[in-house]
Amino acid sequence: MTRILFSDKLDNCVAKWRSAGLAVIGPVQEEAISRYAAVEKGTDFDFGTVLPDRSLKELFFPQTEPMLRYTIKKNEIDTADFTPPQGKRIIFGARACDASGLEIDDPLFGWDYKDEFWFQRRNESVIVTIACTKADDFCMCTSLKLEPDSTKGADVLLRPIDKNKGWLVEELTDRGREAFALISEYLQESSEPALPTVVVPEKFNLDACVTWLKNPENFESKFWKEISMRCIGCASCTYLCPTCHCFDIQDEGDTYSGIRRKNWDSCSFALFTMHTSGHNPRSTQSARWRQRIMHKFNYFPGKFTVNSCSGCGRCSRQCPVDMGITETLQAISNL
Amino acid sequence: MTENIQIAQQNIYKPAIMKIVDRHDEAPGVRTMRLEFQNPADHELFKKTFRTGMFGLYGVYGEGESTFCVASPETRNEYIECTFRQSGRVTSALANADIGDLVTFRGPYGNRFPIEEFHGKNLLFISGGIALPPTRSVIWSCLDQREKFGKVTIVYGARTVADLVYKHELEEWEKRTDVDLVLTVDPGGESPDWKHRVGFVPTVLEEAAPSPDNCIAVICGPPIMIKFTLISLKKLGFDEANVYTTLENRMKCGVGKCGRCNVGSVYVCKEGPVFTAAEVSRMPAADL
Repeated sequence: MTRILFSDKLDNCVAKWRSAGLAVIGPVQEEAISRYAAVEKGTDFDFGTVLPDRSLKELFFPQTEPMLRYTIKKNEIDTADFTPPQGKRIIFGARACDASGLEIDDPLFGWDYKDEFWFQRRNESVIVTIACTKADDFCMCTSLKLEPDSTKGADVLLRPIDKNKGWLVEELTDRGREAFALISEYLQESSEPALPTVVVPEKFNLDACVTWLKNPENFESKFWKEISMRCIGCASCTYLCPTCHCFDIQDEGDTYSGIRRKNWDSCSFALFTMHTSGHNPRSTQSARWRQRIMHKFNYFPGKFTVNSCSGCGRCSRQCPVDMGITETLQAISNL
Repeated sequence: MTENIQIAQQNIYKPAIMKIVDRHDEAPGVRTMRLEFQNPADHELFKKTFRTGMFGLYGVYGEGESTFCVASPETRNEYIECTFRQSGRVTSALANADIGDLVTFRGPYGNRFPIEEFHGKNLLFISGGIALPPTRSVIWSCLDQREKFGKVTIVYGARTVADLVYKHELEEWEKRTDVDLVLTVDPGGESPDWKHRVGFVPTVLEEAAPSPDNCIAVICGPPIMIKFTLISLKKLGFDEANVYTTLENRMKCGVGKCGRCNVGSVYVCKEGPVFTAAEVSRMPAADL
């Protein structure tokens, strides 16, 4: 017997969590795009998409975020810390790839120097994933050795039952159990079976790709030029990626007061690595695309033993010139 | 799972406030500033952590931060000296700051020259142009405990006589009997009263022909100088493992997160900036 959360009780659950001081966040459809955002009632959720257009990353590592405020008076500088917004929250209805993405970036934000902006939010968030029962042509979690019902990064995993009636509840962590204890009155014991998770076909042989990438001879292969010829360097792939973490630091203000911000940045941009002297280690788009692939599947796993990709497929799905990681790794598999 | 995550107690992006206590111009557009910590706790932390070779992010609020080495030696940690060329937004703001003004410093970050391992050895310092500052930090760190090292040779070159930095210190090194100083300027860069060599650093180095026996070489300069100097060192019989250099790449965070300073898989900010020539030769040349 497993416990089931029926979807008609979702409204009560949201109210219960909110009254317990938890902000509730879930997949919603805004005008043109779908994303994870705050919900106030059960009907605000949109569980219909394969996955939201924008990843979960922005709730932990916002597109722009103030880090400190400076005030300069005559011969005195005052630096005030910004602390990340305090407040517990529950993210209900995340996709497994998005939850995995958060766990993938934990060691990056934590090695030696801990980025409290990231970890404060990580510690205050309960993540409830819903196993996928549908996928599209761009989904590729299985190629990354993950599954549509991976528990990586999740506190609770829900498995949909037939006719959108609700979800079977699998509590994975104490944090998840605590959050679901609040709504236990709305959970019912049931023997109803879960819908099967979607079968996502493997699109490339990851191990073969990694072997190819690790071979120093291939660093200057003409493959990189050919595969990235049509990249326009727009960085859509970076911004939508659940694991891309590169950022810029910029001051906003004047000589006397202002805010220092952390902003998303991208290895797709020429200015990303440009030296003051004018020398640019990655001066061509192909060098930048190589960096993106190498970083995700060679350098990052070399440091943190995990690929910097959870297989959501957004980079290919939303690319204006129809490129993406899938195409590149497929091409490498076929070399 | 998320259970084991520790929370940082501090904002790792918050810089220390520094007062400019001295400054002077080294060469056209190149300035050295001496900075003192305003907060004793920041200073204590610096004294505990700073070792020669490390870098920092120097900043002016409202403009941003720039990465340069700490040009002062670890043996003189009451202050920080930095030398920079005025060329961008941040360095212009730093250049406009006067004695008594406040600027910011974040660091020290990165690894260091393992000078304890150099004890009892001969030292050969090779530097070009504005790359003398990182070398100078090592030079003084060694000269301040001179008895621990063997012969010290410094080969330094710049495009023109005017472009030589730390001119007053070059004079001091020239006078010392326990330092061999070889100065050179590129052909055409000499002045009428120039008494030293004329020629590129690698050529001059080969002419000076320092012995590789029991010798550590520390080389720092523009990429083109490093490339040809490494060839010359090889000719002279130096082992790549005994040749140290320091890389500089564009950085924003300095602590391994912002993702731009890597050469191949190597994060310059965390694993560098100090590398042996053997380590550099394993990096993909096209990414340097």
